[in-house]
Amino acid sequence: MKQLTQTIFVLILGILVGAVVMAVWGHDPWGSYASLISGALGNLRAFTSTLARSLALVLTGLTFAVGVRAGLFNIGAQGQMLLGAVVALSCSLLPLPLWLRLVAALVLSGLAGMAWALPVAILKLFRGVSEVISTIMLNWVAHWLVFYLVLQKLADPVLGQRTFLVPRGMRFPVIKGELTWALAVSLAVAGFFFWFLWHHAKGYEVRAAGLNPRAATAAGISVRKAMSLALLLGGISAAWAGAIQVLGRFPYAITSDLANLGTLGFDGIAVALIGRNHPLGILAGAFFFGTLATGAAKMGLRGVPIDMIYIVQGVIVMFMAAPEALRLLRWRRPKPRREVSG
Amino acid sequence: MASEHLIQAQGISKIYPDGTVALSGVNFAVRPGEVHGLLGENGAGKTTLTKILSGLLSPTTGEINWRGKRVRLATPREALRLGIGMVHQHFALVGPFTGLENVALGLEGGGALFPVQATAIRSQLEAIMEQSGLVAPLDVPVEELPVGVQQRVEILKMLYREVDLLILDEPTAVLTPQEAEELFGVLRNLAAQGKSVVFITHKLEEIMTATDRVTVLRQGKVVAVRETGETSVEELAQLMVGRELPGLRERAGNPPGRVILRVQDLVVPGREGQPAVKGVSFTVQEGEIFGIAGVQGNGQSELVEALVGLRPWEGEVELAGESLRGLGPAEIANLGLAHIPEDRQNTGLILDFTLAENSILGRLRAFQSRLGRLRWRKVHRFAQELIANFSIQAPSPIVPARYLSGGNQQRLVVGRELSKSPKLLIANQPTRGLDIAATHYIRDLLLELRDQGMGILLVSADLDEIFELSDRVAVMYRGEFTAIVPREELDRGKVGLLMGGVR
Repeated sequence: MKQLTQTIFVLILGILVGAVVMAVWGHDPWGSYASLISGALGNLRAFTSTLARSLALVLTGLTFAVGVRAGLFNIGAQGQMLLGAVVALSCSLLPLPLWLRLVAALVLSGLAGMAWALPVAILKLFRGVSEVISTIMLNWVAHWLVFYLVLQKLADPVLGQRTFLVPRGMRFPVIKGELTWALAVSLAVAGFFFWFLWHHAKGYEVRAAGLNPRAATAAGISVRKAMSLALLLGGISAAWAGAIQVLGRFPYAITSDLANLGTLGFDGIAVALIGRNHPLGILAGAFFFGTLATGAAKMGLRGVPIDMIYIVQGVIVMFMAAPEALRLLRWRRPKPRREVSG
Repeated sequence: MASEHLIQAQGISKIYPDGTVALSGVNFAVRPGEVHGLLGENGAGKTTLTKILSGLLSPTTGEINWRGKRVRLATPREALRLGIGMVHQHFALVGPFTGLENVALGLEGGGALFPVQATAIRSQLEAIMEQSGLVAPLDVPVEELPVGVQQRVEILKMLYREVDLLILDEPTAVLTPQEAEELFGVLRNLAAQGKSVVFITHKLEEIMTATDRVTVLRQGKVVAVRETGETSVEELAQLMVGRELPGLRERAGNPPGRVILRVQDLVVPGREGQPAVKGVSFTVQEGEIFGIAGVQGNGQSELVEALVGLRPWEGEVELAGESLRGLGPAEIANLGLAHIPEDRQNTGLILDFTLAENSILGRLRAFQSRLGRLRWRKVHRFAQELIANFSIQAPSPIVPARYLSGGNQQRLVVGRELSKSPKLLIANQPTRGLDIAATHYIRDLLLELRDQGMGILLVSADLDEIFELSDRVAVMYRGEFTAIVPREELDRGKVGLLMGGVR
């Protein structure tokens, strides 16, 4: 409850600072915000578009969050997401009925994400390598690998600016406007993580390991296993973010500059911070991000330069994420002993 | 109105915004040049009262007279200007700063930034150190100093500010017995110089050895003020707890049981590679409490950690006939070992977990379905049982363990560990930091378990506890047992010497 009010307070603060920045540069802040809101939520089309943009963020946010729950700072979602996208796209080539290719795409991209998380777990557990370092490196490996595949192996023979298209029958069916049934994947995964963390023994172990590895170990919980599990589950989730971005959203391909995959993985970190690493919070956080992204285009129409939009976005994200990031940093330091007395 | 009192607080009440009544109608007075003990159980209002006296909290009602004149202490700064200084349980020191810099911090006119002033402060501090007998290094970053020495820096800080009333909140909680003795000597010196000292404790012996007068608080009220010379430990204990504590149960004359734990030539590596435990052998039988006495840091922690599977070791250890070689904490627990760790807040509990979540720590298997789903309803029922059976005071099973008092946290740990129906219970410092009632409860429970035939390995730095409970006592010194003494031959003087390494 306190967290919720804090989040709302910070959100308002962020919006106010954003307004000041816009005013200083001579733009009408309230008009701009109004168009942002109307552009993102003003009508059904805008609303579905906002939702569609949020779906992948839910998944990468969950990746980061489950890591934090296990006491990890897992920033590997970006690489896993890219890899998941390319594996899902490649599944178009499988000699299977189209709907089965969709299933295969999800299974195989999930496995790929998990495989990409495996070295992180192994290095962490057996060599003590910080997951921050190994995920950053693997992110780059994934980036250039995917870049190469997209340009050299999967490019559309006619339209060089993107890969070939996912065949129609293999795509997630459209619900309305831009929104597809990829929605079900994001909701299901969020629901799964909620259930896993609070209603499953392994999830309990993950939380115990993250909150107090010493007590967890003393209670016979393997902190290593709990961390590995969080990394591997996170890998699946992140890879599916890439997969649904390709299978469930226009242009149903990967653009040659990887722009339609963008920084979904990294944005997931901010989404998780805003959502306080709770699946419900992450749904809200991702929706908030989707709103900003969709509304920004409408703001642009008013002549507010695109950079201004990024500034506003950045400011809000910073304000939203800062308290949580601070808490996280403080958290990783040993706490002084507290004794209550009278 | 001249007054014989340095400070006099009258009719002090404090009601916190959440409605908690911390103090009601408290009268408290300190004479010049006395060491005044403030005694009470956890939650009796001791800290609240001292915070009011030092300007950190303002009372809801009541007045404070300083040297016979009514004052309002709105901030710690104002209190300090009058001459009231407080040393909190959690020190207000800047870690990377030296002792000198910490003293200078907050002084008017820039403090130690200027070499001239630094020199002046230093020479004055050295004079204070000489006078009071309170010595601390001035040029070492305080974070590199042991806690006991950090505390001295805190006190020096106050003395430099020429306080007349020094308030110490549970100063001995972080000290070894020897350090505590030294501190008491310093307090005496200060009193002899005409300064007044108030110190908070819930340890009766400390009141008896170190104070001139004592005020006893219970549930936010003053129940008694006594000249220390005219009271006794028994009277104070009763005043503090509010009822006469029954003695511990008579120990049943258990016949010697089967050996439940056999330890042979146990060697446990310590932090810097040298062994912390150097070849220790002993057995624990069913129906006996085997006590390990010793000054802290002589390998007791490492010994226990090895036995419960948290530390590698060499030698031979058998629990109920099964070798523990190569087993982890979970497997050892499954063989029938329960463990009350010395550090309940960091090892025994996950403070951010709820009471219910903590109640199944290490016992997940009993509360999950075949597919691993947690059976929350069963967990909550179990938590309620623990709350009832072990008199844990908690508003509900879903309160985070962080918000329980130390005594209730320990009841939770003990209840959980006993619910494993162990063959051997290892209790490491089971009553450290607990108030009298909780201590009594735990000790009595250990005796009850012993009488029922459980084997108990008790590790304690508290000699009273060792003497009250143990059937046999091993004294540990520098990683070795200097002796194993049966109950009939226990002798305080002898054990004290053994603890110091004298055979």
